[in-house]
Amino acid sequence: MKDIAGTVSCIDGNTFIVSDTSGDVESSPAAPVGLFAADTRFLSRWVLTVNGERLTALSVDDSQYYEVAFFVVPGGPVDYVQADVSAIRRRRIGADLTESLTLFNYGDRDVDLDVRLEVASDFADIFEIKFAVGDKAGSHYTHVGPSELRLGYRRGTFQREVSVSASEPATFEPGGLRFTPRLRPGDRWSTQLRVEMRALRPDGVDLRAAARALRPDETTLPESVRAWVAQAPTLDTESAALQQVYHRSLVDLAALRFAPLSLGGATVPAAGLPWFMTLFGRDSLLTCLQALPVMPSMTPPTLRILASLQGARNDDVLEEDPGRILHELRYGESAAFEEQPHSPYYGTADASQLFVVLLDEYERWSGDAALVMELEQEVRAILAWIDQYADLTSTGYVWYERRNRATGLENQCWKDSWDSISYADGRLPGFPRATCELQGYAYDAKIRAARLARTFWGDPGYADRLEREAAALYERFNRDFWLDDRGYYALALDHDGTPVDSLSSNIGHLLWSGIVPPERAARVVEHLMGPALFSGWGVRTLAEGQGRYNPLGYHNGTVWPFDNSFIAWGLRRYGFAAEAGRIAEGILDAATYFQGRLPEAFGGFERHVTRYPVRYPTAGSPQAWSSGTSLLLIRTMLGLEPHQDHLAVAPALPPAFDRIALMDIPGRWGRVDAFARHRPDEPSDRGHHPASSIE
Amino acid sequence: MTATSAFFEQLTAVGHDPRLCKVRGSVRFDIRDGEQVEQWLLDIDHGQMRVTQGAGPAGTVITVSAEVAEAMTRGEMNGLAAIIRGDILVDGDIGLAMRVGRLFPKASESQEQAGSGSRAQADSGSREQADPGRGK
Repeated sequence: MKDIAGTVSCIDGNTFIVSDTSGDVESSPAAPVGLFAADTRFLSRWVLTVNGERLTALSVDDSQYYEVAFFVVPGGPVDYVQADVSAIRRRRIGADLTESLTLFNYGDRDVDLDVRLEVASDFADIFEIKFAVGDKAGSHYTHVGPSELRLGYRRGTFQREVSVSASEPATFEPGGLRFTPRLRPGDRWSTQLRVEMRALRPDGVDLRAAARALRPDETTLPESVRAWVAQAPTLDTESAALQQVYHRSLVDLAALRFAPLSLGGATVPAAGLPWFMTLFGRDSLLTCLQALPVMPSMTPPTLRILASLQGARNDDVLEEDPGRILHELRYGESAAFEEQPHSPYYGTADASQLFVVLLDEYERWSGDAALVMELEQEVRAILAWIDQYADLTSTGYVWYERRNRATGLENQCWKDSWDSISYADGRLPGFPRATCELQGYAYDAKIRAARLARTFWGDPGYADRLEREAAALYERFNRDFWLDDRGYYALALDHDGTPVDSLSSNIGHLLWSGIVPPERAARVVEHLMGPALFSGWGVRTLAEGQGRYNPLGYHNGTVWPFDNSFIAWGLRRYGFAAEAGRIAEGILDAATYFQGRLPEAFGGFERHVTRYPVRYPTAGSPQAWSSGTSLLLIRTMLGLEPHQDHLAVAPALPPAFDRIALMDIPGRWGRVDAFARHRPDEPSDRGHHPASSIE
Repeated sequence: MTATSAFFEQLTAVGHDPRLCKVRGSVRFDIRDGEQVEQWLLDIDHGQMRVTQGAGPAGTVITVSAEVAEAMTRGEMNGLAAIIRGDILVDGDIGLAMRVGRLFPKASESQEQAGSGSRAQADSGSREQADPGRGK
C-alpha cells in the first residue's frame, strides 16, 4: 500500500505500520510514519542494517493489507552491483506486529553478518504528530532484558509500553538488538521478531485485554478476509478497471474494520489512514450508507456504538448535548488527559441526522424491524436535538458554533477545515452558521423518522408532526437559501440570515436529501455539471471562479470521491441518470490512476489539462468513504432501490461500461441479481437509455 | 457520610433510570482507600436498579481510588478519558461501564441539578439555559 508517496503500510483496524519501501521506519516528529495502535506511536524507529549498511528494496509484495514482504539487499539504490547477501522481511500486523527476517547467502564464501535492528519509540499521540508538538509531559524508560527490549512511557497512571523480542539469540541494547549469524554458501538464516504493544493500567493489565480476548485467532485472518469478500455480491463486468476498484474497495473496508473498546468485539469502519484510524460519526454513517447494497452487516454495529455513546448531558468542552451523535473518539494520551476533547467529541452538526437516515435506509434494505425498535429512543432524542439544541437562532435550521473555543472545530459540517465556508468574494461568514446540506439531512431525517414512527413505533401522531415539520422546513429552506438570480442554493446562511452565496458541491447533497423542488432541479444540475464545478473527473468542492477556489484547496476546489457518490445518488433521485453516469464514469476512471484505491481527495484541475487526477499532497488512503464510493456508484448506475419486499433495478450505464451485473445482492428479498447492458443496436454514447431491467 | 456513599444511597432511593432501559447486568464498584475497600453492587434490569453495599459477584467490576470516586460523584470525571488514563479500571464489559457512568452527574450540570442526579435529559430544553457558557 504505497499511497503516501514512498511509504508502505500494513493495517489492521486502528493498528497499523507505515514504513519506507525497504521496511524501515525513521520518523520525524511531524511525519505520520511508524507503528501505531490506539492513536499512539509505539515505534518511531525500526531500521535494519547488515554489516553497517542500510538495505534497499528490490520489490515489495503488499497484496494483503495485513501482511507485506520486502525483498531487500544491502546498499543504496544506486550503488547496487551484485549482492551475495539478500534478505526478506515479512511483516504481519494484528494485535501485535510480527516480522520474520530471513537472510540468504548466495555467494561462494562463508559470511559473518552483523545484523542490527535499531529500535526507538517516542510514544507520540497522533495529535502531537499532526500539530508537530515535540515535548511530552511524561517520562520515558528503557528496560534491557536477556531476551527482550522494553521501551515505555509513563505519565501518572497512564502507561504505554512496547516490547521487542526475537526467536533467535540476540544481544539486546537500549537502542535495539543485534544478531551475528554465520552463513555458509547457499545457507539461509531466519528469525521471528515480535513487537508487542501494551496500554497498561496501574495493575499491569492491558486496558484493551477484554476487547482483545474477543479477537478471532490471528491465523484465521486470511480466511476471514476471503469470507468478507465472498459475502459481498459478485460483480460481473467487462471493465477490468471496475473489477479492480470493486475488489479493492471490499478489501480496504475489511482492512479498516476495528473493534472499539466498548463494543464487545464487534467491528465498525475506522475512517482512514493515517490520521483518522478511529470511529467518526459522519464517516462511518456515510460509509455504511454507501455499502448497504454490498456490505449491510457493517450497519448494525455502527448504529449501536453511536447510539451507546449518544450525548446525554451538556458539556462545553466535548460539545455534548442530549441526543447528539458523536464526531470522533480517541484513545491516545491527548484524549486521556483531556488536552483534546475526543473522549468523545460531539462537534458535528450532521452525524445526528445521518444516523436516522441510515437506520431508515437500512431497514428498507434489510427488513430488520428489531433494530428499528431497539433504537427508537435514540432516534427520538436525535429529533429533539435537532429542534432544541441545533437551532441556535430559533429560526428553524440546524446551526453550529463551537462552544469549545480552544480545541473545538470551527466548521462542524463535512467540510470541517477552518476556511471551507466562504462567500463568493472570499469573505468568511460569522457564527453561528447553517450550511445548506445540514438542512437537507434534517429534512430527510424527519421524513424517514415519520415512516419509522408510523410503520414500527405505532405513533402516527408523532409521524404527522414530523411530516408537518419537514414540510415547513422545505418551504422555509427554499425561501431562504435559494438564490434565484444565480439559480442555485446558497452554501450557508450567515449568523444574521444572509445567504453565503458561493457555488459549491454542497448543493448536490440537497438532491440526495430530496429537499429540492423538481422544477428547480434542472438549474441545480446545470451548475453541478457545468465547467465551474465539474472538472471532468468529478464535482469540485468549490467552483472555479469563487474567491477561495484553489484546485489543491482541501475543501476549496479538490474533488472528493465520496462527495461525488452522494451527488450521483441525488442526480438519479431526480431523474438525471446521464449526469449521474458522467460522475460515476469520471470518478471510476480516476480510480484507475490510484490502482483502484480512491484517495480521500484529488486535485480539482481540469481533466483535459492534466489528463490524470493530481494527487492531493496529504490525502489519506485508504479512506473508508472513498472505499465506499465505488459501491454507491454501482448502486447508482444500476438504479437499485428497495421497494417493500423486492429490489427494483433501473439501470442507466454510462458509455464507458457495456455490461454490469451484480449478483446475489443481499436484502429482505433474500439474494437477487441486477443486470445492466447496452443494447447492441444502440450506440454506446446514448447509454443513458437502459436496455434491460431485471429484478 | 462521604459524597460517594451519599451518591449510592441516592441511587438506591431512585431505583430506576430510563437511560438504562435497555441494560441488563451487574456492576460492582470497588472503591479503594489504602487497605480499605468499599464495595457497591448495582443490579440493573431494564432500567430497574437494585443497589446493595458490599461484596457479591458481578459481571463487570469498576475499580477506582476513593479520590477518583469522589471526583466522579462531583461530576468532575470524564469516564472514557479516565479509563484510557488508568484512573478507572474496568474488568468486564466496558460498554456497560460507560452506560452506568451516565448515572454520575456532570460538573456543569451538578449545580443546577444538585440532588436530582438522573434528570440530565431534561426536555424543557431552552438552549440558553442548557449552554450557559456559550457566548455570542
